[in-house]
Amino acid sequence: MSVLDVLRDFLVNDLHWDPRRAPLTPDFALIDNGVVDSMGIFMLVSFLEEQFAVEVKDEEIVPENFGTLGAIAAYVERKRQPA
Amino acid sequence: MTRQLLHHLLVETAERSPEATAVAFRGETMTYGTLDAWSDRLAHLLVDVGVRRGDRVGIYREKSSGSVAAIYAILKAGAAYVPLDPHAPPARLAYIARNCGLRWLITAEEKLPLCRQMVEKQAPLEAVILPDVVPARRSDPAETLPPGVRLLAADAVAAQPASPPAVRGIELDLAYILYTSGSTGEPKGVMISHLNSLAFVRWAHQAIQVRADDVLSNHAPWHFDLSIFDVFAAVLAGATLAPVPAEMSVFPVQLAEFIAQTGITVWYSVPSVLNLLLLRGNLKPGAFPRLRTVLFAGEVFPTPHLRRLMGLLPHARFYNLYGPTETNVCTWYEVPPLPADRVAAIPIGRAIDNVEVFAMTEEGRVAAPGEVGELYVRGSTVALGYWGDSERTARGFVSHPSAPFHERVYRTGDLVRQDEQGDYLFLGRRDNQVKSRGYRIELGDVEAAIYAHPEVAECAVAALPDAVVGNRLKAFVVTRGTRPLSPSELVQFCSNLIPRYMVPEEVEFRDRLPKTSTGKIDRTELVR
Repeated sequence: MSVLDVLRDFLVNDLHWDPRRAPLTPDFALIDNGVVDSMGIFMLVSFLEEQFAVEVKDEEIVPENFGTLGAIAAYVERKRQPA
Repeated sequence: MTRQLLHHLLVETAERSPEATAVAFRGETMTYGTLDAWSDRLAHLLVDVGVRRGDRVGIYREKSSGSVAAIYAILKAGAAYVPLDPHAPPARLAYIARNCGLRWLITAEEKLPLCRQMVEKQAPLEAVILPDVVPARRSDPAETLPPGVRLLAADAVAAQPASPPAVRGIELDLAYILYTSGSTGEPKGVMISHLNSLAFVRWAHQAIQVRADDVLSNHAPWHFDLSIFDVFAAVLAGATLAPVPAEMSVFPVQLAEFIAQTGITVWYSVPSVLNLLLLRGNLKPGAFPRLRTVLFAGEVFPTPHLRRLMGLLPHARFYNLYGPTETNVCTWYEVPPLPADRVAAIPIGRAIDNVEVFAMTEEGRVAAPGEVGELYVRGSTVALGYWGDSERTARGFVSHPSAPFHERVYRTGDLVRQDEQGDYLFLGRRDNQVKSRGYRIELGDVEAAIYAHPEVAECAVAALPDAVVGNRLKAFVVTRGTRPLSPSELVQFCSNLIPRYMVPEEVEFRDRLPKTSTGKIDRTELVR
């Protein structure tokens, strides 16, 4: 499974987004549409840290990295690159 | 005419300092003069479309200067405002609209498809007002609303006079209705009069010493009673109200930047928001030099987190405000420096000025200090009751148990004990109500949503204590077994009936639920 698919599954199964309300395309706005709220973001951050073995810094929890599925996937890929 | 209604706070401040900044939001500001004039025009439009004294008008939109104007406009028209949760499912909002007879809605363009869904679910809407929308820029209004519902935009507001409409009101008139979770699966509307609200607002203004040069945060949404302090105490003082953009709550580092850059001096929110700021906000000691007061309410602030936050903001004073929506705020407690080894929860404190609280034991006596009892509240802040529900009103708003004549007091359902210093300590609930992120949740309300699923044979919802959000909800479900049911399907089903904060985070399927000897579900055994 691609990173995008893993993330989509997480949003549906753990954050309980109903895909019938709106499909989770890579550019679908996660915050404005209420897919991820103030609690969801922390579940999501913990999930990323566990699933992809990355360390998410406070200052990285920003819309540029978490605003859409595509943004989160790109962020995870960047974090997984060896420094 | 004497000025004793909520909207007179705005009229008086606008007369005194028309050029002062009333609202600062997303880089734009609105002066008191403009806020007053714009709310006058909108009030006239409401009267034009048929709103009369005592009617209810909905506010269904995110925070903005325009939303603040809408609140005051509805009050100026003599009506009561009913704030609708912008993220609640349309089915629940349609229930509220039917329940209190909402015929008018002040909303925003992006909400129109949801307004349509509300009408399809029998919300009795007659007119929808979009005060921010210039008609020429609208695509096709006819398509978004059913026939028979009028759509009015900014041009209709601008055409109205900027003078207050001639509507007589008295302080016992209804000012707003706040809907909270009800135990039977339907929300209940707490009715607050101008007097109820002003009794609290005037106290808070005095006690917190809000000044014209203050900048007050507005974090809570309009349908949450914490917003009352923000919207009315700021205007009473002629201070600036700074609504917190919704996305900031999701990104703590940005929230921290917002507080610093906006120069917030008085912050008010539920503890869980402050917790997130503490845990993920990258706060440095001495952050927010302008912040002088931190108010929190709605749930217990875990003492270790509170101590850390106070350590980072040594120049700010911290207050715990307590009170169910039915009483506005009834007790308060200024948090002293907390010793490093203290883990016990801080008290809810003592009654605010001009309000009395007392605890009644199970035997019906006034509890002595040290004894456990249910907290009762007496004072002008106590609400009028629940809209359209005299039975529940009679159960919550009761005759004073020891007064020599009939007098109404509110029984909170909260169990408390008074400590040696005379401060009350919150111990828990008498019933199945829990708090999560400061929101009141009746477990029966959540269970009713789960039972609505045809595959569910039996269920019980438990609240699991959590240091950050207060409680997390977990559902235990027995299915009929006619077809497979996944936790996600059930949770998604619920999210179409109840707001997000009420939807259980976890679902566990069981073959059967443990029962007590009387055949009730054994909730203690369930979470063991």
